[in-house]
Amino acid sequence: MSNQNEFRAKVLIAKTSLDGHWRGVSLVARALRDAGFEVILGGMLRPSQIAQVARDEDVDLVGLNVGGRIEVVYRIMDELKAVGLDGIPVFCGGTVPPGAASKLRELGVEVYPPGTTLAAIAEAAHRLTSGI
Amino acid sequence: MEHQSASGIERKLIYDRNDVPDSWWDLLRGGAGEAPFIRGAYPEMYRSKPWRIFQLSGFGSPEDMNARLKFLLKAGETGIIVKHDRMTDDHLYDVDHPEVAERREDVGLTGTVTVGLRDYQTIMDGIPIESVYAKPGGGVPQSAPYTQSSYWSVALSRGLKLSQIAGTGQSDFFLTYLGCPCKEQIPPEAALRFNLDIIEFCNEHMPKWVPVSIAGYNGADSGLNAPQELAAVLSTAVEYLDGIQARGRLKPADFAHQIGGVNFRVSMDFFEEIAKLRVARKMWHDLLLNRYGISDPKASRMRIHVVTAGSAMTYQEPFNNIVRGTVMALASALGGTQSLGVSGYDEALSIPSDHAHLMSIRIQQVLQEETGLTSVVDPLGGSFYIESLCNELEKRAWEVFDEIQGQGGFVATVQNGWLRGRASDEQTAQAKRFEANEMKLVGVNAHLVDDPIMHVDGFEGRSGDVTWAQAMERLTVLRRERHTTATMTALRELEGVCRGDGNIVPAVMGAVQADASIGEIGQVFRDAFGVWNVSENQFGV
Repeated sequence: MSNQNEFRAKVLIAKTSLDGHWRGVSLVARALRDAGFEVILGGMLRPSQIAQVARDEDVDLVGLNVGGRIEVVYRIMDELKAVGLDGIPVFCGGTVPPGAASKLRELGVEVYPPGTTLAAIAEAAHRLTSGI
Repeated sequence: MEHQSASGIERKLIYDRNDVPDSWWDLLRGGAGEAPFIRGAYPEMYRSKPWRIFQLSGFGSPEDMNARLKFLLKAGETGIIVKHDRMTDDHLYDVDHPEVAERREDVGLTGTVTVGLRDYQTIMDGIPIESVYAKPGGGVPQSAPYTQSSYWSVALSRGLKLSQIAGTGQSDFFLTYLGCPCKEQIPPEAALRFNLDIIEFCNEHMPKWVPVSIAGYNGADSGLNAPQELAAVLSTAVEYLDGIQARGRLKPADFAHQIGGVNFRVSMDFFEEIAKLRVARKMWHDLLLNRYGISDPKASRMRIHVVTAGSAMTYQEPFNNIVRGTVMALASALGGTQSLGVSGYDEALSIPSDHAHLMSIRIQQVLQEETGLTSVVDPLGGSFYIESLCNELEKRAWEVFDEIQGQGGFVATVQNGWLRGRASDEQTAQAKRFEANEMKLVGVNAHLVDDPIMHVDGFEGRSGDVTWAQAMERLTVLRRERHTTATMTALRELEGVCRGDGNIVPAVMGAVQADASIGEIGQVFRDAFGVWNVSENQFGV
């Protein structure tokens, strides 16, 4: 699929919460790797750490596994702004109820709830990083 | 429709007697309650005692937890499970830990948040410990000594003796070293020591307590297929049996009954899951007999708790999950489970709402009261297909068991990433079947309608930062009011035991009763045992 010379978009995958469920994270991370992305698996990072890693690793896209409340996602968006990454594409999956999903979409965060195919997630990642 | 089971066993069009070897038919001559227990753990099964309705529950403050437990008991639950906040309890962090404070809104969303023993008094307020069967928490090995000691201490403060308290711990490796690892937790070897200590402690003091419950559920819902789940569960048991034996104080025959209360996942492959539970009992019996020479039915009778697969519950059209829950509950009963929790229909959205919780209980009550299911023992016994599946599953599971033992045992396969790799491969394969439309999920990739009229919001509870602020206040009060010298002495004693080879349970109970906070106890563990490194490799990515 991809070779060493080809540009590979870089995605940070992180869990917003300490709930620990890795099923979705590992599935999505593996799928994105298989789709040719360079995946930084951040794990359970604090909001401030997510922003730092996104900046330090110069990632093109932030993927969040939301296992908690969306207020934590708001904080992550603030932290991303604070490190100069406002406008970086962010998408998320996880246990996000419909009401919370609408609020996140208003914020510009794309939401891919359980039941989304891995192909659709990879397609979204390609689209979100295609302008680079 | 695929003509193979979830674990890949071919499904023939029709089965007959010749699909089952004579040696297997011979095993069925004995009834239920007789070795090797394929037909059931007890002679009369549900006719004399229906399965226990045992729902996972927990969120918010200790007051919220208390109210939900009372609600569930009133609705007809026959045991209680206290689920604790994963951020604070599983991680053994105080609420003022930076990891928690920066995500304060999440506090109480995954379980109830406690700061110390006093909160357990609140959780259990008005609930009769002397007559209730409880799982008070401690799903994760590193938190099990704290949560169980806290619950037992509440019982002791009410004048009960340890020997009178009935219930179960969990301390499961699959949860926290395979499916849902904590950010910081003690390494598996230390966790194994904790579990062995709890087993020895309960062997001496707590005859009515199941000290550990191996939870294949967490392995299976992380991806392991049926033979892998069976093999990994039995391999965990071997760690306990060999580990305690090596300590030289107890022989396997003295304590094997304490670890024969096991937790399995039942998902949507109806017949394979029924077969899995039936054959699990036989494999447990055979393991004890062949490896340890144990034939006492008290030990070789495996008791099963089932949780229906959370991963089978869809985000789309959530009411369909009530049907899925019913099917999985039926399979669990036909497999002969002793207790059952049905995942909430809103599982993919949130922790269960009160309505979802009630439905999970009602599903079980309808099956128990309205269908005739509880009258006849092992009603599918002798089915050509079921018996054939049992026989095949057993063969495949022992092969995986040998593969695990060949690598040095269960903990070794956690450490070297092998088990995680198997789980990851299986879940990826399942996702691909779904993507290719070979696996149908009604309302998700099949039979879609424009407006399914099934809007569910999911449970949110009160805002997390309120729960967090209240817990911060309780922690401040605890630190102010306690006898600090006594607390510090108890924590030093705990550290001494951790660094030595004494049993940690009495020392943790001492710290709990001296009002040590959850985070202080956790810090002693982290200092004494270090923290397990969760590498990407271990997560099979």
